[in-house]
Amino acid sequence: MSDEYHRIVQSFVELKNTSELMMDLAYSSLLLNSRELAEEVLRLEDRVDVIHHDFQLMVLSCSAIEQEPEARLGLIEAGEVTERIADAAAEIAKVILRGPEPHAVLGQAIREAEQTVVKATISEKSILVGQRLKEAKIPENTGMWILAILRGQGWVRPSKETTLQAGDTLIASGYADGEEYFRKMAKGRVRK
Amino acid sequence: MNRFERIEYEPISVREALVQMKDLSELMIDLAYSSALFDSKGLAQEVMEIGERVDRLAYLLDMNAMVATRGPRDAESLAGVMRVASAAETVSNAALSLAGMVLRGNAVRSFVEEAFADIEQKLARIEVKHGSTLIGNTISELGLTSRIGANVIALRRNRDWTIKPRDQALLPGDVLIARGTATGLEKLRDFAEAEVDIGSMK
Repeated sequence: MSDEYHRIVQSFVELKNTSELMMDLAYSSLLLNSRELAEEVLRLEDRVDVIHHDFQLMVLSCSAIEQEPEARLGLIEAGEVTERIADAAAEIAKVILRGPEPHAVLGQAIREAEQTVVKATISEKSILVGQRLKEAKIPENTGMWILAILRGQGWVRPSKETTLQAGDTLIASGYADGEEYFRKMAKGRVRK
Repeated sequence: MNRFERIEYEPISVREALVQMKDLSELMIDLAYSSALFDSKGLAQEVMEIGERVDRLAYLLDMNAMVATRGPRDAESLAGVMRVASAAETVSNAALSLAGMVLRGNAVRSFVEEAFADIEQKLARIEVKHGSTLIGNTISELGLTSRIGANVIALRRNRDWTIKPRDQALLPGDVLIARGTATGLEKLRDFAEAEVDIGSMK
């Protein structure tokens, strides 16, 4: 794979990850009626716009893509898919930022959905305390992915190296069947 | 012939319509990427059909929200609900355009494959082999999500797809489309290929 092509792939990965994270954060902002999360969605949207623009330029100018226009058009369209998801997430975030307080039906719907958003605070007894996210293996054990960590007054964007602390509130999304085990992990009811 | 039928009003709960639109639209994205990765026109066709359901739900949700509106305050608050539904519809449309590409020849297959090498939430196509631990069990009994963090999002038996299978007992030859971490999907592949003690696999 040429470097040029590799950069296009990497840029797409970032677009896909960011846009889907935005969607999850947007639904979380509705569930928790959180302006902070909604604002983060809009910050991420600005970033997606920039990356998407660069992505399109790279696709149009890359000499390593097969000659058929279909291949190039396919990549452009794949980029569009992520961009549209990011836009949709921003639309949801704006519902929160504009107010009034979101209709109760929204929170109910998110709680009932199969892919849901969960908020759980890490207790002092939890096996998660002191673990870095990559060691905590939360998605491997529960199918839930950590979207954001509320710590003290502020919040932390999770990375593999983030060390979890007692009192952290984790916001996670995933299929509802993993929710119970996720809560148990945070509460300290799961032991090694 | 008119492909687009009139959608008649029927009373449904706005909440229920929204739950379905959210679930279906997100599922469509995973299914559409799966159809590209595993080069499956059948799966892409399923995405198209789910898209029609989302479309219909969007109409019904709007109609029911309008009927429920009793004045300016309701209108303000229900307008937000309709915006969220319309966002779910946008996601569904994005998935449709991806599935459309797969139906037109899947020019993006190798690109999507390369991208998924660097994406943490993976998708896998797994065939259930003779002698597998999974045989005779249903997806809901297996509790794969809480056990290994993998979700089966589609099942192909012979030529028929079931989306979000739950209650069918698995048979040899079934093809599963699953989503999860690399580790989770590897474990699922182990279960699908041989007799493994599922309880000890945590």
